[in-house]
Amino acid sequence: MNHSAVETASVLPALVIFVPTATAVLIFAFGRFVSWLREALAFVGVTCALILSVIIGYKTLHGEILTSFETQLYADSLSALLINMVSLVSFVAVVYSLKYMWHQVKEGGLPHTTTSGRLTAFYGWLMLFISTMIWACLSNNIIMLYVAVEASTIASGLLVAFYWDKRALEAGYKYLMLLTVGITFSLFGCVLLYATGSNLPGVGGAKGLLISELKLHASSFPITTIILASAFLIIGFGTKAGVAPFHPWLPDAHAEAPTPVSALLSGVMIKVAMYALVRTVTIFYPTFSPVAMFALGLGVFTLVIGDLMALAQDDLKRMLAYSSVSQIGYILMGFGIGTQLGIYAGLFHMVNHAIAKALLFLAAGAVIYSTGVRNISQLGGLAKKMPITSFCFFIGALAVSGMPPLNGFHSKLALFVAGADAGNWWAVGFGIAASLVTLVVLLKAAKNIFWGKESEAVANTSVREAPLTVVISMLILAILCLGVGLYPKAVYPPIKEAASYVQTINTSNKKVAVAENPKVGKPNDRSSKKILKIEF
Amino acid sequence: MTHISPELIHTLSLLMILTSFAAVEARNLRHSTVAYLAQALLICGLLFAYSTQNSALLYWAVTALITKAVLVPWFLWNATAGHEQETKPLIGFGPSAVILIALLAIMYKLTHMHAGLFVAQTQELAEIANTNLAVAFTVFVLGLYAILTRRDAIKTVIGLCLLENGVHLSLVSLAPTIRETALAGIATEVVVTVYLLLYIIGGIRSKFGTTDTFKLSELHW
Repeated sequence: MNHSAVETASVLPALVIFVPTATAVLIFAFGRFVSWLREALAFVGVTCALILSVIIGYKTLHGEILTSFETQLYADSLSALLINMVSLVSFVAVVYSLKYMWHQVKEGGLPHTTTSGRLTAFYGWLMLFISTMIWACLSNNIIMLYVAVEASTIASGLLVAFYWDKRALEAGYKYLMLLTVGITFSLFGCVLLYATGSNLPGVGGAKGLLISELKLHASSFPITTIILASAFLIIGFGTKAGVAPFHPWLPDAHAEAPTPVSALLSGVMIKVAMYALVRTVTIFYPTFSPVAMFALGLGVFTLVIGDLMALAQDDLKRMLAYSSVSQIGYILMGFGIGTQLGIYAGLFHMVNHAIAKALLFLAAGAVIYSTGVRNISQLGGLAKKMPITSFCFFIGALAVSGMPPLNGFHSKLALFVAGADAGNWWAVGFGIAASLVTLVVLLKAAKNIFWGKESEAVANTSVREAPLTVVISMLILAILCLGVGLYPKAVYPPIKEAASYVQTINTSNKKVAVAENPKVGKPNDRSSKKILKIEF
Repeated sequence: MTHISPELIHTLSLLMILTSFAAVEARNLRHSTVAYLAQALLICGLLFAYSTQNSALLYWAVTALITKAVLVPWFLWNATAGHEQETKPLIGFGPSAVILIALLAIMYKLTHMHAGLFVAQTQELAEIANTNLAVAFTVFVLGLYAILTRRDAIKTVIGLCLLENGVHLSLVSLAPTIRETALAGIATEVVVTVYLLLYIIGGIRSKFGTTDTFKLSELHW
């Protein structure tokens, strides 16, 4: 752990979970009776969650670790980074939904007879989904981490099946079934860690449930237990994160869910699962570095598979979903490199992809909203009628592809530098090649949709720019992509601080990396010097 | 501390395997539900038996009784009303029986040779813990087998329930002192997941006219 940080008992971690949960309860209770109430409640709830997350982020950045319920909820810089990411994308998704979902529920939805009933269900489950993701990022209890991650699956299950047509129902069934089976493996892993940890000298009893305690004693775990637990955790949380070959649920769910939910699924939910994976598995990096090598291999496999599958898609949302598989591969690659710079780059790409992919999904939703068409081949020449959406889509596409001067460029560059620095040239080679494929896939789609001759679907309908709330939410994310791209120093401190809470391997001597104070890094840790080079 | 009879544990464990097999192989979904209910009651029996050694498990036993033996069978019973016959599965009874025996042998061997990997235990409880783990892993793998080889969506939910039962049973040996809040969280999630899955399967039945998962082909690569 970071020894310079001070643990402080605080109500904030509990409050940031409680607020969206209470909002959900109020929406379910009163949403049907007052037409504007559910939207107002959702907006207020998610805004409060965002403000609380920012406060937690500020405090953790200034040397505090906030804890609630003894240390069951634990907000260090890593958790704070994640909850800020979740709250920000959730805020944008809720703003986007305000007008968008009114339009969508006219075409159907959960088997409620009224528009009001459908919207109440939508906002209620949405707020529960947000609160469970925040809970997962703050849980220090390893079993409750599993419970929170699974709760986020449950809360989003009906959102995936929201349109209640054949495609949505099929996606919802696969989503709930595959993720529950997958995540059950992670329960085995969590229980194994607890069972072994609680029997170690100095841990014992309920302390064995705390990740912060297990991390301190990870070097005492038998290697066989480490291998078994890591395998279960990678299968379990990896399934939820969309890591190949456990990803088949992802394109279905992300494509068939309502667009604001797609933005949350691709933007943040898979990152929350990746966070759970990182929180648990990396505690063994100093003791048993082959775990990192396995993660690296899996990451590279995932980024290649995701990109190749994205190439073959004509459905716009499905193509973006496969692109998310690819980008989660990059993030896993960063964590698999395992050095301080690798972890830093993985976290940086996690944040950048959350912003850029949410933007792409929201822009895709705006296109579908205005044209009613989601096949790329049936679209064309939209830029004249939807200039802001066109601009936002191109920004998102270039950011995800890692083009300068956008945010994705910096994190991908950091990933490749980290890979090269650790001697993993083969991974860097695959990463660069896959990045080029991503660029081709996304720019080709953008060109077909927005440039050229107007297609029949675009010309024949009264297509125009999406409503104001939709445009505003897209612009917020587009500005963030540009802002972080042009001035990346602004986000270095929280990401660097968050990275200091993840254990690393040491590539310079292939031995145990320091677990005492990873924030500072050892004098011979080349990767820590690399961060300084990038920063200054 | 009250002594647990190893014979009792072995008998309950054997019955657990048999009820799992019956839940997977019964072609009538309501018969499968009854087999699942019997298994849930057996788990409760096992947990009550273990709770004489570890009182923390009493809470787990009561929770299991409510969730596994009452709520989940009730949901399954309602979901199968008027649709009791299962879609023909990929693998029939004979091969399934062979697979079950092979699985049981492998799990028994694995847990008795390598149980130390999973759980620290005293010598006197080793046999009980090893047997319990062997049964838990077999039930888990049988659940996975059902999900992979059964075409009927409701049968896959029963498979999921078996899978969860296997994990929960293993908790008895691996983490008997786990906190009540964690246990409540785990148990509640299973019930809610099963309810939501059956709710969605109800929608699938009304839109597709079947619960055959092979007919769910709207979404391709």
